[in-house]
Order: sequence, then C-alpha cells, then structure tokens
Amino acid sequence: MKKTVILCSALLLVLWGAAIASAESQTELVIAQTAEVNSLDPARHNSITDVNYTIQVFDMLYILDEQSKPVPRLALSHRIVNPTTWEFKLRPGVKFHDGTTMTARDVKFSIDRMTDPQTKALFASFWGPIKEVKAVDNLTVQIVTKSPDPILLKRLSLDLAIMPADLFQKEGAEKFFQHPVGTGPFKFVSWTRNDRMVLDANEAYWDGPPKMKRLVIRPIPEAATRLAELQTGNADIAPAIPPFLVEQLKAAPNATVQSVPGGRVMFLYLNTLAKGPLQDKRVRQALNYAINRKAIIDNVLKGSGIEVADCLTPYHFGYDPSLKPYPYDPAQAKKLLAEAGYGKGLKLVFNSPNGRFILDKEISEAIAGMFREVGIQTEMKVHEWGSYVQMMNAWKLEDIGYIGWGNTLSDADGTFTPLFTPTPFSYYNNPALTEKIAKARTTMDEKARLGLYREIQKELIGEAAVGFLYEQVDHYGISRSLKGFHARGDEWLIVYKASR
Amino acid sequence: MRTVVGEARTIGEPGTKGALADGQRILKLKKVVRRIPKASALIIIGLVLCAIFAPLIAPHDPLAQDLVNSLKPPFFQKGGSVSHLLGTDSLGRDILSRMIYGARVSAIVGFAGVLFSGLIGTFLGVLAGYFGGKIDAVIMRVTDMMLSLPYILIAIAIIGAIGPSLRNIIIVLAITQWVGYTRIIRFEAMGLSKSEFVDMAVISGSRWWRILLTHILPNVLNSAVVLATLDVGKMIVFESALSFLGLGVKPPTPSWGGMLADGRIYLTVAWWIATLPGVAIVITVLGGNLLGDWLRDELDPRHQLKA
Amino acid sequence: MGAYIVRRLGQSLIVILGVICITFAISRVVGNPVVLLLPAEATEEQRVALMKDLGLDKPMYVQLGIYISKVARLDFGRSFRSGEPAMKLLLDRVPASLYLCFAGTLLSVCIALPLGIISAIKRGTIFDRVGMTIALLGQSIPGFWAGIMMILLFAVKLRWLPPSGYGPPQYVILPAVTLAFFFAAATARMTRSNILDVLDMEYVRYARLKGVPERIVILRHVLRNTFIGILNIVALQAGLLLGGAVITEFIFSWPGIGRLSLDAIYNRDYPVVQATVILAAAFFVVLNLLVDIVHIATDPRIRKQ
Repeated sequence: MKKTVILCSALLLVLWGAAIASAESQTELVIAQTAEVNSLDPARHNSITDVNYTIQVFDMLYILDEQSKPVPRLALSHRIVNPTTWEFKLRPGVKFHDGTTMTARDVKFSIDRMTDPQTKALFASFWGPIKEVKAVDNLTVQIVTKSPDPILLKRLSLDLAIMPADLFQKEGAEKFFQHPVGTGPFKFVSWTRNDRMVLDANEAYWDGPPKMKRLVIRPIPEAATRLAELQTGNADIAPAIPPFLVEQLKAAPNATVQSVPGGRVMFLYLNTLAKGPLQDKRVRQALNYAINRKAIIDNVLKGSGIEVADCLTPYHFGYDPSLKPYPYDPAQAKKLLAEAGYGKGLKLVFNSPNGRFILDKEISEAIAGMFREVGIQTEMKVHEWGSYVQMMNAWKLEDIGYIGWGNTLSDADGTFTPLFTPTPFSYYNNPALTEKIAKARTTMDEKARLGLYREIQKELIGEAAVGFLYEQVDHYGISRSLKGFHARGDEWLIVYKASR
Repeated sequence: MRTVVGEARTIGEPGTKGALADGQRILKLKKVVRRIPKASALIIIGLVLCAIFAPLIAPHDPLAQDLVNSLKPPFFQKGGSVSHLLGTDSLGRDILSRMIYGARVSAIVGFAGVLFSGLIGTFLGVLAGYFGGKIDAVIMRVTDMMLSLPYILIAIAIIGAIGPSLRNIIIVLAITQWVGYTRIIRFEAMGLSKSEFVDMAVISGSRWWRILLTHILPNVLNSAVVLATLDVGKMIVFESALSFLGLGVKPPTPSWGGMLADGRIYLTVAWWIATLPGVAIVITVLGGNLLGDWLRDELDPRHQLKA
Repeated sequence: MGAYIVRRLGQSLIVILGVICITFAISRVVGNPVVLLLPAEATEEQRVALMKDLGLDKPMYVQLGIYISKVARLDFGRSFRSGEPAMKLLLDRVPASLYLCFAGTLLSVCIALPLGIISAIKRGTIFDRVGMTIALLGQSIPGFWAGIMMILLFAVKLRWLPPSGYGPPQYVILPAVTLAFFFAAATARMTRSNILDVLDMEYVRYARLKGVPERIVILRHVLRNTFIGILNIVALQAGLLLGGAVITEFIFSWPGIGRLSLDAIYNRDYPVVQATVILAAAFFVVLNLLVDIVHIATDPRIRKQ
C-alpha cells in the first residue's frame, strides 16, 4: 500500500512538473548567449553581449534600423541649432519600471554619467565629441558637441541607457545596479552570474507590452552545447551558429536558421611599420592578388561570406558599391613579387587567433596555402586571443595578422580612424590619408563626406593597405515556434515583438 | 607501503652478479618476452613505427589542402572514396595521413612529458620522504603552491611568453604534472626510510646518496612506474586539452589532440574529424597503460619470487 | 601535535605568499588587461586613465606590496571587468563548484573503490582485467570530448537529460559523470595497488592462517590499513577535481569557480585570478594538513619523527 502511494505521488509530481514546465516555456523566451555580461552597469560594458542586456531593460534615444538609419525611440525629433548644437524633443509619458516618468533631467543625468571621466565608462570614447548636455525643459534636451559631429544620432543609439536620475542618486550606483530600473520592454528580476539572467515583461511599455512574459538569458560559451540547447527546444535563439552546421539545423524539426550579413569585415593586417618586404606596395598587392576569396567563402565558409572591396559593408555610411575587390590572379601576384625582387620566394610570419572569429585558424591556414602557391612561405603562429590582442596593440604583430573588425557606429569613421590613423590598432601610416580621414570625421555635409570617403577607399585599395578579405555572414538558430524575431546585422537581439 | 623485511630489492646484492650463466640468462629473457601482453605491445610498437616512418606510410601530404574536397566522409560511408580512406577535414586534408603524422606528436608528448615530470616528481618525493624535517616541509609547501596554481594560467603564461610549440608544451606538462608523483612517492619513501634495511645501512656508515640510490629509489620505482604509465595517457589527453584552449602545437602540424579539439564543432556533420583521432588516443592510452601494468607486475619482487 | 599544527599553519602562510608572488610574476608575462577592456575606439587618455585606475601604472614590486597589505586586511581587490569585489565574486560560485565536486567525487568513489577492491582481491582473474580496463577507458578519453559526446547522446538524441545548466539534480548528472570518468580510473588503480600491498602483509597472512573468514580479513585488516593510502589518493583527486572541473564547467555552462577563473585568465582579470589562486592554495594546505594529521595520528612509525 505504502509503495503504491509513493509511486503515485512521484508520478503526479513528475507530470505536474512537466505541465508547469511546458506552460512556462510557452510564454518564456530563452536566449543562449555566447558569453556572460560583464556587469549590469553600462559603464563597464565593452561588447555586444553587454549591449544585448542593456536593450532589454533600458531604452536609448535612438535606434538604428536595418538600413543603419536612426529611428526615434525616447527622442521624438531633433533639429540642428548650429553645427555644434543639437536640440531634441523627448517622448512624453514614458514610465520607468518604478512608475516615475522619464524627463529631460534623466537624459541629462544618463549622458553626463557616461561621459564623466570619473565614471571611466569603457565605451566613453563613442561619446567623446559630446561637450555638454542641457535640460531646456521637461521634454527638451540640448547637446553641445566639441566640434561638428555628423553622426551624433548614431552615437546616441549606442548603449547609452537612459536611467532614472532620482532613483540612481538616492540609491547610489552599487545598490542601483543590484536591481536596475529603466524604461525598457523587460524588467529586471534576477541575475546569477554564469547561470542565467531573468527578466519579466514590462506590461506598461510605451511601445506595447511584450507578448513573451519572461525573458531568460543564459551564457553558454561552448558552441556545441548552445546548439544542443536549441535542438532540444530549451533555447529559442542561439547566435553565432558555425556555417557548416546551418544545413543540418535547417533540417531539424524544431529549429530553423536566420542568416544576415554581419557588418563584420575580416582582413589581414600587413605590418608596414616594421622594416621588411611589406613596406613595398607591390608585395602587399601581390598578397591581395594571391587570395582566392571565392574559394574560401564557398568551401571553408560554406557560403557564409560576402566579398567586399575593402573594410566597409553596406551598413557603413561611406560604403561605395562601385569599388571592386582585388581579383584572384596568382600570375599577377608572382609577377609583382618578381618585380619587387622576391622572384625566388619570400618568407613571412602569419599570425592568427584561435577560435575568436568563426573558423579563423582554418581560414588563415587556407590563405597560407594560397600564399604558398605563389612562392610565399609562411610560418604560422596561432595565439590565444588575450595574447594576440596584447601583441596587436603594441605593434608587435610580425608581418601578417588575421583580424576582424566589427561594426559599432555604422560609419566609415568607426573603421578608418582606428585602422588607418596612428593608433595602437593601426599598422599602416600615411600622413596625407590621416589628414583626410580626420577631415571626413568632422564634415557635416553628407555628400561631401561620401566624396571624401570614396577617395580614401580608392587610396586604401590602390595602396593595398591591408589584405582585403570578406564580410562575414552571421547565422542565428531560431526555434521554429518563435515568430516576430528578425536577426540584425549589428547582432542586437530585439525580442520584445516576438511571440509563439 | 613496503616494509616487509627481506623482500625489498637492493641493487648489487651479493649473489646476483655473474651468478647466472649466459645460457640461463637467455632462457630467462625468453620467458620474460613470452609473458609480454601481445596486444598492448603491438599498439605501442605501432605508435612508435607510425611516428618514425610517417613519411613512408602516409598516403598523402598531411598539409596538402584541397578546399573543394573538404568534409568528405571515410570510404565506408556514402560520399567517401578510397583516395581518402578516413575522409578529409574542413580544408580537404587527408585524415589518415594527419593521424599517422599526429602519432609523432602524441608519442613525443607522452614519453617526454612523463619522463621529465616523473624525474622531477620522483626526485623531489624521495628527498622529501627520506630526509623529512625542513627539506620535507619545503618540498611539500612547494607542491602545495604548484597545486593551487591553475595549470591553465601557467600554460598561458609559458606559451604566451615563449610561443606555441611541441617543446614548450612538454615544458608546460613537466612543470604542472610533477606534483602528481611527489606526494605519493614521498609517502612510500617515508615508509621505506624506517625499514630495518635502511637502519642497518645507516649504522654501517653508508652515505645518504648511496642509501637513496640503492635502497629507496629501486623500491619507489615501482610506484613511479605505475604512476608514469598512467600518466602517458594523461599527457596525450592534456595535449588535447591544451589544444582545446588554443595553446596546442602550431598549425598546420597535425596532432591527435589538435584534431580532436578542432573537430569537435563538426561532430554532428563530420564525425570522423574528431572521433577517429579520439579513438586513436583511447587505444594508445589503453595499450600504454596495460603494458605499464604488466611492467609493474614484472618489477614486483613478490612476483619475482614466484617466478 | 599542537606544535606541529602551528608550524604547518605558519608554512601555509608562506605557501600562500609564494603563490601570490608567482601569480604576480606570471601576470607580467601574460600582459595587461587594459587592451582587452577598452574597445578599439578608445583614446590614449582613456588607456592611461584606466591603467592608473586599476593600479597598473606602478612598478610591480609596489603593486605587490600594496596587494599583500590589502590581503592582510582581507581586501582582495575588485574585478577589472565588473568592478565587483573579487573574493565575493568567487565565493558566490563556491556552492556550485562544491556541488559538482561533491557529486563527481561521490560518483568517482562509488565506481572506483569497489572496482579497485574487487580487482585486487580477484587479482589476475577476468574480473581484474575487465575492471582495470574499464577504469582505464575512463582515463583515456579526453574530458571535453566525453562531455560533448554525452550531451549529444543523452540530451539531444535520447532527451533524457538537459544539455547544460545549473539547478536540480538532473542538471548535475552529465557533468559529474564526465568528471568521474577521469578520476575514477586513477583512484581505482591506486586502490588496487594499495590493497595488493596490504594483502601480502604478514598480519593478513597470519589472520588467514588462523582461519579468520575472508570477509573479516578484508574488512577489518585490509581496509583499515589501506585507509590512509586511499585517503591520500582521494584527497589528491578531490583537489585535482576542483581544478579539472574547469573544462567540464565550460562545456556544461556550470556556474562554478572553474568557469569564472577561466574567463578571468582569458580576460587578464588579475584580481579574480589572484583571489582564485589564494582560495585554491588555502584549500589545499588545509586539506593536506588534515590528511597529514590523520596520517600521523594513526601511523605510529611516523610519529617517531
């Protein structure tokens, strides 16, 4: 008798548990992220995984649409008072999660905090051009910039969370970020580092309440495990699916794949700062002719790549579709090498990170193989990412280095200033070009800017400043039952419009 | 713990040198050879042969890329062909050839790693166990220090500083793995130091290094050998863990560990890239350990007496 | 005995100090975290300011001195990445790691001890051979591979268990088994070796001669005397388990110390790395001290020292 009772209760428990689980999962959205968030404080943010937390709990003044155009969010409109003064009208009636109303004071407070040197925000350089913020009245804000800044709106769309000034000042930073409050589509519930972050739907959200009542973000660093979670139905969204798994995932019963060009451009650093063969333009051009980009994209990446002429993609302002990439021409490569005096062959060091970018090591090896075909012997050195970055930033990368450059500001300046003007990220020094890039950075007229950037790109391609490769295509594994989610090129996961 | 009187082995004991005639010695050797476990020996010999004769055995150049033929399955699966018996990897390189060349890395990492870590660990363990007191305390504290330092940190430090290479991997293994020997060897040496044999030697005026060499060392050798044979496999597995963390041998040099680590994301679409080297690792480690077990039994004096 | 403990505690402090110094030295070699923290668009002023803020602009011996004096006051600094107190970050993860370590050790011991004992008693028979081969198999398979294979088999294919995560018992099974694989092997073999040694001891032979039933011989004489040896082994393995769990935690997204310290090492988050090392050192010295005390208390020969 006792045994039967125990057995029955156990069975009931299991069934009940299963029932609860499936009921929960109907309105619960689980994201299997690639890494854990640094901190709940945006001042400590430095990567896209951090941003993907911010956009759930907070709103920004603007957001970029799929064509990289700024769309009003907490700001309704703007006008340019003079080249260094912008005025914004704010959206009325937006409530924070604690019920208080968002006003200009909150906007001023939030921007001030992130630009304050005392806060030491890691992303602070994005808002470097901002000099001063004034709250003109409850719903009007003025921003004064240090010099004319054509991309201020884009800057305001980047991880600049609008926080409640009163609550923050009352609690202090440490206490506030134990339970952050914003205006965003989800309210913060709990966070266990390396396990999960739980957020509940904000029923009073100004853009309509989310249909999914609970959002769970789980950091799962191992790709195979992330995939398993998707395949077992435990996760609804899994970013960064490797290209060769896409076919298999599409065929799975409860999953599908969304592919979107990623705005991340891969290329090869060519160290022109150190004495060596790479200081000769012909050698650099030869390297570019020797790479069969199509073969890499088709075979190694299984099609997950788009050839680009240089380091910009259609997402970037300044992109010029009329520019053509280097063709695959090994004969030309050999000819150039011979002209430069390396007809007998050349030995270069080829550095690559390991696992930081999709198939980075494999692609580097494939390219090294192509270089071998034209007589360039390479010594391959693979590095752990931390070590790689150290070397890179100290200008210690010998000869060639495989690298990817992500898209943050959707603007050519975000790529050109770090890469082609004297910074720790630049291996190419050309004073005339540096000047031009600086000029383009502060030119307000769009047409003039575009003209400048076309010139700059033509020069970069002609000079073979780097080894041009391709734009990466990102794949997102999505649960088949999920509707209303669209993968974005900037890797932002906007889920409040999703439903089952 | 071997403190049974009269059974400890001592080198140079009167009566063993020259006591056996040549013919009898050959007979003894034959007996020993007959007892060697065939399968394990074959595995290890196979490994060594692959390592030495790789260029002659391998059907393809392990570095030759063939991007169009990437991710081809082994010949017994649909889509495979006999030109690539075990299939190709993501860059179209022949898996079989890479595995044969990979045996080199595994063999070297396994034997050299065990040799150096074993030497350091046993040496320190014997010193600690025999002398006790301050020397023991110092060595034990150093052991504690090594055990609390995460091996990944040390690996990144060393390989970050002097670059990724086979030699540097062995250095990392030697530095991080010697602790596994020390505590256990020390334990044994401590027990041995209290035996009557050693007491007699001390009384009769033997110098400490003689005592170590003739009384302590031969008897801890058995434990050391057991630990060492366990570790050969561990070294090979560790090399694969280092590859997993991005600290393995320089590409394009093939290594079983590297193939395993690189191939793991392909497990669901191209199982052969990771699984076949994995099986090779398992078989080699198994063979090595079984052989080591037999070796231990051979060295066991109780076994000797029965023979 | 009391003097011994005091002496050992003093030595433990030296160990911890030594470990701090080594970690500091290593951090010089692996480079500074500022480049990993700041995005590419950061300015030179930001870099310099951050170095100063993190205290990395001073010479190393000054940094070391500051750090040691802080540690003496139980201040372990703040994480470079998240700004949270380093030791608190770690200690929050300890329950998860202990949970996994305990489950793994339990599984390991449950498999290894019987395996080792039976193999030793039935030495040379088929039981011995099969038993040791099974144990060996565990040690021959690289942990991360075993883990991923198990996820593919038990989670994806069979849907018996969840692939990863933290929580009720079904989440800990796969990672614990992955860990147990490796350590059960070594423990089983060492156990067998130890028991074989004891089985040949004079007093065991004597007990057998007297006609004491085999079961009592095993239980009373053999097990009691192998206890210390086995304890040594299990302690060593448990400690190694904590370190070896790093890869397992990574694969199964287990929020333990291993995963935290791996991230910290990759991100050059020194305060967290140093806090981990200090915690590990403290753990080891205490563990070893306990084992040694038990050893001395029970083995009269060593007490003579």
